[in-house]
Amino acid sequence: MKLKALFKSIAAVALSSALLIGSSFAANHQANAEQMSGKIVIAGSTALLPLTQQAAKEFKKLNPKVKIVVSGTSSIAGPQSVSKGVATIGACDWDATRSVGGFKAYSDLKAYKIAKIPFAVIVNKDNPVNNLSIKQIQDIYAGKITNWKQVGGKDEEIVVVNRVKGSGTRVNFEDKILNGVDIKTSGDNYIEVGKSGDMVNKVKSNPNAIGFADLAYVKGDIKAVSINGVQASTANAASGKYVFYGYGYLLTKGEAKGVDKAFIDYMLSKKFQNGSLKKLKFIPVK
Amino acid sequence: MERLSNNLSKNTAQSFNLMRSQTKWTKTYVHNHLFRYLCVFSALFLGITLFSIVIFISKTGLLVFKDVSLSEFFFSTKWDPENGKYGAAVFIMGTIYLTAITLAIATPISLCIAIYIAEIAPNSLKNTMRSLLDLLVGIPSIVYGYLGSTILIPLIRKVTGATVGDGILAASLVLTIMILPTITRIADDAICSIPKELREASYALGSTKFQMITKVLLPAAKSGILTGIILGMTRALGETMAVVMVIGNVAQFGFNLITPTSVLTSNIVMQILNVDFDSTWNYALYMMAFLLLMMSMIFIILIRKMRPKGVK
Repeated sequence: MKLKALFKSIAAVALSSALLIGSSFAANHQANAEQMSGKIVIAGSTALLPLTQQAAKEFKKLNPKVKIVVSGTSSIAGPQSVSKGVATIGACDWDATRSVGGFKAYSDLKAYKIAKIPFAVIVNKDNPVNNLSIKQIQDIYAGKITNWKQVGGKDEEIVVVNRVKGSGTRVNFEDKILNGVDIKTSGDNYIEVGKSGDMVNKVKSNPNAIGFADLAYVKGDIKAVSINGVQASTANAASGKYVFYGYGYLLTKGEAKGVDKAFIDYMLSKKFQNGSLKKLKFIPVK
Repeated sequence: MERLSNNLSKNTAQSFNLMRSQTKWTKTYVHNHLFRYLCVFSALFLGITLFSIVIFISKTGLLVFKDVSLSEFFFSTKWDPENGKYGAAVFIMGTIYLTAITLAIATPISLCIAIYIAEIAPNSLKNTMRSLLDLLVGIPSIVYGYLGSTILIPLIRKVTGATVGDGILAASLVLTIMILPTITRIADDAICSIPKELREASYALGSTKFQMITKVLLPAAKSGILTGIILGMTRALGETMAVVMVIGNVAQFGFNLITPTSVLTSNIVMQILNVDFDSTWNYALYMMAFLLLMMSMIFIILIRKMRPKGVK
């Protein structure tokens, strides 16, 4: 008999606790339902990838119900996939709503400026040249200056490394440095590479190479040259003294709505701009 | 009593077995047919996939000829899509040239290795060499490309005095290492499958080992070796990642071996991500992909035709 009573009481306790837990779960569930849910698909620039990935990680922590897929292929893929409806947010190293660098304007999109990106003209560490004027860089890429001797270096032929057409870094290089000067895209001393990493490898392995990349890539066996006597640094780019910088944009189809808007707002928040964004060597725009 | 029940259970078990075997038979029958349909479906699936790839690529590729004339695409060497110049001759010639040079280097070396493995090496070494070669086939091409761009290119710069080092020479050397195991293994198999009698007859007639190999073995294994060469060739044709890292990617002829140049595969992979979906530029790249597809298909058909009679 005693045993039965014990069972009864155990059962009662179990039932009530189950009810309690259940109701608390229900309450939890309700609280979650008030939070945002949805799916964000980000595609585009590889230069902005570290930034969007970091933002996605933090945003997911705050809003666990939101699914975020981040990928990076090339800048032009950003506006293209958004306009085709493959992605909800496109990342691009230029304002794709305008026609830039031979790419058409995507007028159905809306662009949000999220970061300033400092770039650098890079050479091998063994190269004694530390400073180049914009005119000299233009002449090197136009094929008028072909020997490092002509700009104060060793008596060696210059190997010009360029990014492939469509690279956001190249668009910014043409925009900020070349200023409409045509690049000589042939000859024994000219090569093109696909990605920023390949660019860095080429300049690393060739003592006579010149190229360009995000400032964040400059370390190890490559160095950034000063442009017009201004050192390549985030501080100088932030103040505008250093001219080789661009802006990173997020693009949405029409005005951003719902989770997309919340995500872009998060990236533009003071907390993110002055925190993770700075840490990743980008410059806040707010 | 015990025996009786034993017998009984045996009997029932037997009759059960009989019944079960009948149901089993129908079950097997169904399984058999289901499996057959599964196989047919799988084969069909592959066929449909291949067919749709060909249709899709050719359909998209042929759109290029709305804006570009046939003769410009195939014979003009001016590739400048931003200014409406779509001459793919540089890439087509580059691909043929690169493949030819690669084969010229790779074929003799792999033949020698194959002969060594099949005829000369002691048995213990044979098996090590074979597993080593199989291992080499499996190495991802990006690894070869990386080694090429970090080790081979500085070496080429040093030896030839070139300023860049990227070009046909670097690409063909990397490709050679990549297709070497393919050609070697197939040639090795072909040589090994030649009946012992031929070798013995040749020795009996007084030939040296060298004569036996060059006059008897190689001619007898000819079609197998050619299959190996063509398979290697298709791999060289289609290889992209390793090539793109060492070729320089400039739309100009690279006949002197150390001028940066570009081939069909490297040009496609460099540009395809960066073009508008519905542009002539995109169509031109698809047309190049279609050309590659056609080239490798022709080679595969050649292999089938070349097989000795009776082998299916």
